[in-house]
Order: sequence, then structure tokens, then C-alpha cells
Amino acid sequence: MADAPLLELRGITKRFPGVVANDHVDFELAKGEVHALLGENGAGKSTLMNILYGLYHPDEGEIRLNGKPLRIDSPRAAIDNGIGMVHQHFMLIPVMSVAENIVLGVEPHSGPFLDLDTAQARVRELSERFGLAVRPEARIDSISVGMQQRVEILKALYRGAEILILDEPTAVLTPQEAEELFAIVRSLQAEGKSIIFISHKLNEVLKIADRITTLRFGKEVATVPREGATQEGLARMMVGREVVLRVEKPPAQPGEPLLVAEDLIVVDDRGLEACRGISLEVRAGEIVGIAGVDGNGQTELIDALTGLRHPASGRIVVGGRDVTDATAREVLDNGMGHIPEDRQLRGLVLDFSLAENLALHDFRKPPDSRFGWLFPRRLVQRARRLLAEFDVRGGGPETPAASLSGGNQQKVVVAREVSRDPRVLLAAQPTRGLDVGAIEFVHRRLVTERDEGRAIVLVSFELEEILSLSDRILVLYEGRIVGEYQPDVSEEELGFAMTGGLENEAA
Amino acid sequence: MSTQSRTALLGNGVRRLTEPRTIAILGIACGILAFWLALPPWTVRSVGGPLAAGFVALACGIAVVPRGERKLGWWAIALGVAGTLGAIWLQTKEAETLDSILTAGVLASTLRFATPLAFAAMGGIFSERSGIVNIGLEGMMLMGAFFGVWGAVWSGTWVVGLLMAMLFGGLLALIHAFFSIHLRADQIVSGFAVNFLALGVTGFLYSSIYPGGIETEVSRVPNVQLDFLYDIPLVGDLLGGVFGWIMFAVVILSYVILFKTPIGLRIRSVGEHPKAADTVGISVYGVRYGAVVTSGVLAALGGAFLSIGFVGTFTENMTSGRGYIALAAVIFGKWLPGWAFAATLLFGFGFALAIPLQREAGISENLISTLPYVLTLVALVGLIGRSIPPAAVGRPYVKG
Repeated sequence: MADAPLLELRGITKRFPGVVANDHVDFELAKGEVHALLGENGAGKSTLMNILYGLYHPDEGEIRLNGKPLRIDSPRAAIDNGIGMVHQHFMLIPVMSVAENIVLGVEPHSGPFLDLDTAQARVRELSERFGLAVRPEARIDSISVGMQQRVEILKALYRGAEILILDEPTAVLTPQEAEELFAIVRSLQAEGKSIIFISHKLNEVLKIADRITTLRFGKEVATVPREGATQEGLARMMVGREVVLRVEKPPAQPGEPLLVAEDLIVVDDRGLEACRGISLEVRAGEIVGIAGVDGNGQTELIDALTGLRHPASGRIVVGGRDVTDATAREVLDNGMGHIPEDRQLRGLVLDFSLAENLALHDFRKPPDSRFGWLFPRRLVQRARRLLAEFDVRGGGPETPAASLSGGNQQKVVVAREVSRDPRVLLAAQPTRGLDVGAIEFVHRRLVTERDEGRAIVLVSFELEEILSLSDRILVLYEGRIVGEYQPDVSEEELGFAMTGGLENEAA
Repeated sequence: MSTQSRTALLGNGVRRLTEPRTIAILGIACGILAFWLALPPWTVRSVGGPLAAGFVALACGIAVVPRGERKLGWWAIALGVAGTLGAIWLQTKEAETLDSILTAGVLASTLRFATPLAFAAMGGIFSERSGIVNIGLEGMMLMGAFFGVWGAVWSGTWVVGLLMAMLFGGLLALIHAFFSIHLRADQIVSGFAVNFLALGVTGFLYSSIYPGGIETEVSRVPNVQLDFLYDIPLVGDLLGGVFGWIMFAVVILSYVILFKTPIGLRIRSVGEHPKAADTVGISVYGVRYGAVVTSGVLAALGGAFLSIGFVGTFTENMTSGRGYIALAAVIFGKWLPGWAFAATLLFGFGFALAIPLQREAGISENLISTLPYVLTLVALVGLIGRSIPPAAVGRPYVKG
């Protein structure tokens, strides 16, 4: 990679009120290279890329393309210069077709009329050339997340992108879809495209990148080639201290069963059976991991166990009491703690203060309230204690939850659930979208809670997380538990079970 | 075509006929028929026919409700019962009375009442499809009504009247656009403000320019005399003036522009997901300004129809809520030009029916004149159920 770089960012500085998001960052990209941009949430990766894509304007610094200085003041200018971006949150219109989304803004037309046939033909041609399987006429809201991402990539290619920015592309993908994405990235590379791959996941960066640039607190830490880079080394650069990537935990001491589910059948929103006879038992002092690809009944199982959705049949017992038909509040009061899948949708009321969010369960009881009167000062006092104990940064008891980073929001949720001293703790995707430091915190806390004698259910799509935390692993496939494993099982074996391999074998 | 695929096709057709949905629609049609049989031109004066049709409707409904077609099935049942009861009630009415209520004139005036609504509704579709709620249609119509007359009186020709109407309707829309796009004001509040502004401005100008009312003869938009068409009964009545032709053209053009051109794709993309449009280089603000101003121009044409197209004069607040009805038609029509036009026809029918009903049936004028509005409510609550608006409608877009 000694050639003159295709793209150079020199001394880019971007200030927002109260924070320097990028502080004299240098970055370069060679032709045909996959260059990863690594950093924790809030390290300035997305800011840097939004500057490159013309969504932000840098306060200082310059961008050079093929050695020539370039001004990019709008996405249009970026597109015109062959820079395409796949945003973390897809920029697709759900009610329109794949082809319409791809050609939007540069539509083929005959006279004044939109030429959709040509659009579809071109999309098909492009998708075949780069091995990106899509159906041009399908509506976006009817296709999988993985295919939506391919549409986003095609959108950039359709506009003649030579440089592709992929912003946290695997955050929304299942492990299988992520593998497919890596294959696509390699084929794009083979076609001579240059790719900037933004991520905070160490393993995938090591898998896909030629070079790795790490950002921390808006500053560039280092650029290293993949050869010789290790997860530990990268993590240290990213976080600025030693990080324990492997979870250290003593062997489990399982006690009495605290959560028992028998033959649960749960129906989803469309009226279909999402859980088709699930039985499980979780004992005090153990972590049971539930592995599976998204959409195999996890959401419905979680809803049923927490009283948010009543099972069509079956039985749920928490701490010896039957809560099959109990309301969500009764389930919680009976010793269930729930760290929900989507902290912003279900975990927190984003417009409420942290003190109010921490009191969401207990506001009706003394000491929070008495005779229907709420005592806001007591909420604040408790919040202050919990925020300190759980090391929540970026705000005090009066700060609205929305203004915290994802990791700190999750700490607030964990603090609320754990502080109620639950017997069963159900953690659904507890580290989704978190950076290394926050993941470490959540993982350690889960192990601590296990050792306190709680029964912990961990639902996750991240195999690594399941393998490193669980004492027992159950695999969920199409609404059934298809296998139970010890944590020393190989990823391949688990992956095989998760994709229905066992079922097919049996059939 | 091979025999096999032909049988498959045939089988497909038969399957479609026996689908619950088809049966439910058949039931609904029978329910309407039950009532219609008692009306001119048939005026069946026995209970048998309507009863039979009503019974079929009921049967269809009962057959499909358990098979999953709940909503349409219940409609078939309800219409079967209501249609039959209505027909029995109509037996007591004189055939002549019914004849004089339901004349060809009703059809013609349905179209006449629907025309201003249709213009405003098409305007509303453009605005809402781009993501801006336009309650201000009412005010924009009113501007069109007043400045249409003003331009026509001042210049002596209706052409200038129309141009003035479009100009000032567009200007009012520009105000609404500025408030709701650049200043990110609440679009409902901004729309209402614009309505009150129009009411005040037109009222003030009217009383100060024409203190004694409009005395001169106002140049009106002429009827186009196409003799060969006028010889056909009904059609001549239906296709009255230049305005009627413009209206049909506008409805068709609205559909073509929105769904068959790149511009339409961009308008819709801005209304669904402005950020996505922005990231591919589409100017969200530009598209929204264009769409809102277009809606003002169209609504003003509807208003001008009221003044220089129809009565040839202006009265204060002469739109009297038609802008809101047009907006209801937009929603009723699921933001699609064709369906919205059909909705305006329904509301126009309500207006048109009110006149002879009042004259013949002797029902209180106040009560009868609520008919179109009741239709609006029933349509909004009952028939359409949930219609899905453009995802970003009503939400200001903040760049970056």
C-alpha cells in the first residue's frame, strides 16, 4: 500500500458546542483497500465520515482526492466525486420498491416520464455484477435487513461510487448476514472499489480490514496494518487502558429453579405461533444463554416471560409462584427483572429525567410515594446513589435520558432492574450497540448478579457473548428449543443448530 | 397456451370468485341494490325485490365473517339490513316525490359541488405527499375566490381573474410554507393562522373595494359548447364549463406527475423519508416549497370556481369549510388522486342531494345542510378504517 493514496483527510477538526468531535484527524485510503475506522461510540468516527460525505463541514483541515484538494459541501458533491455512504440507519423509503429507492434522485426517464423498466434492468445488471442479490421490484418493507443493506450498497454503486463508506454495517445484521456482507466487501474490493469500514467490533475489523485506524475522544490514536494487530492491542488503543475481553467467572453454583416455563405457546402480532412449545428451567446462580437468529421467537418468549404478552397455552412459574396469567406489573413485583431488547423503546422514557426513569417501577410505593403523592426529592436521592454505583456518566438525576450515550442509557436500565433485587433477571440483547468499555461493564455485572444467587436468562444474537457468559446454552430455532449445550461448544456447532441444521438432519 | 396453464388460469379465476373478499363485496353491492330498487328509475313498489336483495347481502356477510373477512362482511350485513329497511320505508313515499328529488339535475350539481373540492383535494395531495399538512387549503380557496373576482372585474376578463386567483393562492401558500418549512412551526397551527389571515384579508378588501357589493357584471368562465356532446342526455349536463375540463385534466395530471415522473418520486420520497431524500442530493426544502405552493395554486382555482366559475360574485367566507372537506377527501382517498376525486364526488353528492331533499321532504334546512358534513364524518370514521399517511407528514425537517 505504498502507492499515492486515493483519498486523504488532513488535520480535520470539527467542533460542536462544548465538544471537539474531531481533533486534527488524519486519514488516508488507498485504491482497492479496506480501511477500518475503529473507535468507541462517541469517538468521532461518524462525524469524520459525515464530513467526508458532505453532511457536516469541517472547521479546519482539508480533503484531497487523487492528490487534489476537494470541497465537499453537500452529499451531492460527495456523490459527484464518487463517494458513497451506507448509513448505519438505512436511508431507504419503506413503502417504495428496491429499484425506486436505488434510482431516487438520478432517475432514468423517457421524456418527462419515469422509466421504471430501465431502472429495474440496470439494478438487476448491477446486482449481478457485484453479487448483491436483490429483487428490484420488491418493496423495502417486505425484505430482510440484510437485503436492505445490499440495496443501500447498490444505491451507492448506481451513483458510480468508487469509495464506499460503511457505517457500522454489521450492527443490524445476524451473524450469517454479517458473513455475507464480508463476502460482498471482498468482491467489491476485487472490483477495485475502496472501502472505509466503520466499526467498534474488534473481531470483524481484524477479519476484513487491510489497515486499521483507531480514534479515541476525537483524536487519531494510530493507524496499523492488520498483520500483527491483535484484539487486545486494538482494544487498548480504543479504550485507552487494558480491557479484559474474556469474562472471568468462577464456575456456577446452581441452586433451586427460580424460573420455570412449561410448553409455552406464544402467538405473535400477526396471529402466528412464534413460540411452539418451549420448556425451560433456570436455576439460582446460573446464566442460561438463549442463542438463535433474530426472529425465531425470542421477542415473543421474552414478552411471555415478563407478562407483556399472555401465552396461548403453557405455564410460567417465577420463584415458585404461577405467573402465567399475571400482568407485567405482577410479574415484576414477583421478582422478575427485565433488561429489554430495545432500551430506547422499552427500557427508558427518553424525555423523562434519569431519576424518573429509575423510579419507573417503584414510584407507586413508599418511599417514592405515599397516599398518591410523589416525593420527587426521594427519587433524586436514590438516582444519585444508583448513578454513582453504576458509574453512569454524562448526566445527573435531572438529565433527560435521551441526552445520554447508548452505553450510559443501558447502565441506567441495568441499575434500575438490578437495584430492585430480582430473583430472575432477563437480559435481552444487553450489549447491543454498546462499545467495548460498556460491554465489559454489563458482562461483569451480569456475572456478579449471578454470583449473588439470581437466575439469569441471557437472550442474544451475538454468539461470542452467549459463549463467554453462559453456564448453559439453549438454542432457539423456529419457536422451539432444538438443543442444549455447555459453553465449551464450538461456534460452528452452535451456528449449525441455530440455522436449523439439527432439524434438517432429523427430517 | 397449453391446456394445463389454461386450466390453471381458469381455476385461478374460480378461486378468486369464491374468495371471501369477493363474496363480501358482492354482499355490499346487494345491500345497496336493496335500497336502490325502491328509487327511480325502478321505483319498485313491492317489498319482495328489496327483501330478496337484502337477504342475499345478509347471507354473504354471514358467510364471510367467520372466514376472516370481518370488516367487509360486517359492512355487507349492515348494508343488507339498512338497505331493506330503507326500501320498506320508501314504500310510503310517492313515486313523483322521489322522481323530483333524484333527477339528472342532481348528477349535474354533484359535479358542480365536487369541482372546487376536487381542485383543493389535488392541492392537498401534493402538499401532504411532500410531508406538509395543509389545513390552509380553506384560506387558499378563499383567496382564489376573492382575487378571481377582483381580477375579472379589474381587467374585464375571466382569464386575468384565474391568473390573479392562482397568484394570490400561491402567495398565501408561500406564507404557510415559510412558517412550516423554514421556521418549523406546527403545521396545523400555521394552517389555521393562514385561514384566518385569508378570512380577514378578503373580508377587509371586499368591504373596502366594493362597499356596495359588486355592481358590475363579472366576466365568468364560459361554458364550452360542444354540440355533439350536448346532444347526449346527461353528458351535456355533466361536462359543463371550462372548469369541468380543467378539473379532469388536473386530476389525471396529478396522478401522472405523482406516480409516473421523477418529480413525483421525489415528492413522495420527501414526504416519506426526508433524510433519505437529502442524502441522495434532493433538496427537501425545495421540493416542499414547490409542493405547498402548487397546492395553494390548485386550491385557489377551486375557490375561483366558486366565485367566477359559478355564481359570478363574491361573498364573505364563501368557501364555508370546503377546504376542510377537501382535506377529508384527501385522507378518505388515501392520498391518491383518483380515490380522492371519488371522495369529492361523494361529498358533492351530499351537497347536491341536500337541495331537493329540503324542497321536497320538508326536513329542516339546518338539519339537511349538515348532510355533506355527516357524510364526511361517516366516511372518515367508518369506511376507510386506517389509511396510512405519508410517514413524515407534519414533521419539520432539520438538516444535518
